[in-house]
Amino acid sequence: MFVTRIRTLAMVGLMIAPGYASAQQINHNQLMGTLGRLEQGAPAVDVALLAEELAANAGKGVANLPNWQNLSRLSQLVVEIDFENDSVAIEPGPYRTIGMIADALHHPNLARYKFLVVGHTSSTGDAMHNLKLSQQRADAITDALSTTFAVAPDRLYPIGVGKEWPIDAGHPAAADNRRVQLINLGLLR
Amino acid sequence: MHKRLMSLAGLAAIAFIAHAVEGRADTISYADAVTALAKECGADIKKHCKGVNLSGGRIQSCLEQNAAKVAPTCTSTLASVTTSIRQRQAAQLAYSQVCKHDMAQYCNGVVGDGNILACLIETSRVDGRRCDQAITDAGWR
Repeated sequence: MFVTRIRTLAMVGLMIAPGYASAQQINHNQLMGTLGRLEQGAPAVDVALLAEELAANAGKGVANLPNWQNLSRLSQLVVEIDFENDSVAIEPGPYRTIGMIADALHHPNLARYKFLVVGHTSSTGDAMHNLKLSQQRADAITDALSTTFAVAPDRLYPIGVGKEWPIDAGHPAAADNRRVQLINLGLLR
Repeated sequence: MHKRLMSLAGLAAIAFIAHAVEGRADTISYADAVTALAKECGADIKKHCKGVNLSGGRIQSCLEQNAAKVAPTCTSTLASVTTSIRQRQAAQLAYSQVCKHDMAQYCNGVVGDGNILACLIETSRVDGRRCDQAITDAGWR
């Protein structure tokens, strides 16, 4: 499916924002504002612990696990990036979205931050397959950002959650769950 | 002979101006660069580069390998997109060096990359023109 529309949902602090239905085409300033907002007392997130919790809970969901719960308190953005069917190749349509993310990550306002790149699937299909494919897709996006757009790879942490952390928890089978989420993990150390 | 020399001089002048213009040409964002790629090469990518990702120069190599089958507008767009991305990267890398003096002179004591940039933009009336241009070329206005 070749989708040229770029629907983007910006969220700060909440996993399910009430405005989800009004998903919109986002511009550079909105992207900067959304990703750059750092709340006081934002929790430090250990990516290795996230991966551990995820591996131990495949098929059971991660939304209520302690380290995953912390993520909902961080600045984040959900974007739609279409891939070829059952493949890790990004469709040409969403190249623009990747380019916009690259523009934002290179801006001095965000240049010191590291980001979690979370790949999601809908609940359709096998849990393990979804987990693997979403990891490969998160890897593919990270790879595109760090090669084509020269974003330092040590700023990007790809992780695939498959169907374990639905964007739209009320409708886990909906296509709206096939998304990529960018979460600001705070300053590089 | 004289006429020929004149035309050579003319060509050299044009080349010089073209080069100067190229050096000062506005760079474009990564988003705009790859939007052009998707627009002009999207069909060829889907047709000839199935399963190939936008990373590590793979799309570029694929389109180059299939140059005989790829639309001419795509081939020319690919070249300009590659140049655009390179120019923007160079401009962003150059910023901290070009603006070093202005940072020390006008924004001494300002903490944080974003705040320093905001300070430079605020003081742009007194900034060195090179720094001003570097900020524009980096796409950070």
